[in-house]
Amino acid sequence: MLLRGLTWLVLFQLLGTALNHLFIPVLPGPIIGLLLLLGFLIARGQVSEPLSQAASGLLRYLPLLLVPPAVGVMVYAADIAADFWAIVGALVLSLLISMAFVGVLMQRLLKHHNHPEERP
Amino acid sequence: MTVEWQGAWESVIHHPLFGIGITLGAYQLVLAAYEKTRWIFLQPVLASMLLVIGVLLSCGLSYAEYRKSTDILSILLGPATVALAVPLYLNLRRIRQLFWPIFTTLVIGGVFATALVVGLAWWFGAEHMMLMTLAPKSVTSPIAMLVAEQIGGVAALAAVFVLITGVIGAICGPGLLRLVGVHSPEARGMALGMTAHAVGTSVALQESDECGAFAALAMSLMGVGTAVFLPLAVTLVV
Repeated sequence: MLLRGLTWLVLFQLLGTALNHLFIPVLPGPIIGLLLLLGFLIARGQVSEPLSQAASGLLRYLPLLLVPPAVGVMVYAADIAADFWAIVGALVLSLLISMAFVGVLMQRLLKHHNHPEERP
Repeated sequence: MTVEWQGAWESVIHHPLFGIGITLGAYQLVLAAYEKTRWIFLQPVLASMLLVIGVLLSCGLSYAEYRKSTDILSILLGPATVALAVPLYLNLRRIRQLFWPIFTTLVIGGVFATALVVGLAWWFGAEHMMLMTLAPKSVTSPIAMLVAEQIGGVAALAAVFVLITGVIGAICGPGLLRLVGVHSPEARGMALGMTAHAVGTSVALQESDECGAFAALAMSLMGVGTAVFLPLAVTLVV
């Protein structure tokens, strides 16, 4: 069951890789695979048991899979040190401002959506 | 006698399984510590990364060698990224009646958040490679890594920026949203999921199920939206 789902995921990614090389060099292969799978699920209207098993199994270990690439930071220690304050400042400020912005925007839109006649 | 010990040590640390061994060990250690303390700084990826870097440096191993021995883990990252379509589909089905508020917030908020981080970093004097790495910092790590690499940034750094963003968002987010008067669970969920991805979503889930569902939806939509439009935008602008 799990293997069948995994096969589907691999197939979608390979399809994405092929399309990436043929037509859409701008989008990475796995992203095209993700979009294709999403389209496939919307067309089918449901998630099959093997696919949902394989997806939840893989996604459960996603943090583990991310460790090796993240360790690559050690190679870029000098680049981080060079731009340290710019990076920290941009990360923290933009996070706080955009989080407040998104929250307020969504709340306003919801109010308008629920009571359209109350608009000034 | 000492020579033999030396030889055994060398063959252990240069064995192809050594990299996977320390990765698995560090990850489980961090998970156990997180279960016990629930300390938000013990994000599995971030803390395991620091442990692994510590081991590599003390053994005198290069990143290239470690990378090669963990190839088998990295190769699964592709199918795992494709698998993100499944939770996105399930979330999409759940919240259909609020399509327009969600869509509008996503487009305006997403563009604003991405432009803001690049603009600020540029203003603070970061170089081009760093700007391209910072741009996708609000989306989930596997997508952010692919996008950063595509537009000329560095995948490893993108993964770390994403995680740091998530941790700061999870710590400051709930208080900040209360401060600016955002009380509806839908809006709080959207804000947490869109800007602080998975870490924000776990905080949103602690607030309420509805808040968590919106955070999960916002996170996956923001991820896919960024993956599709950020490379296109960069190609057009640069």
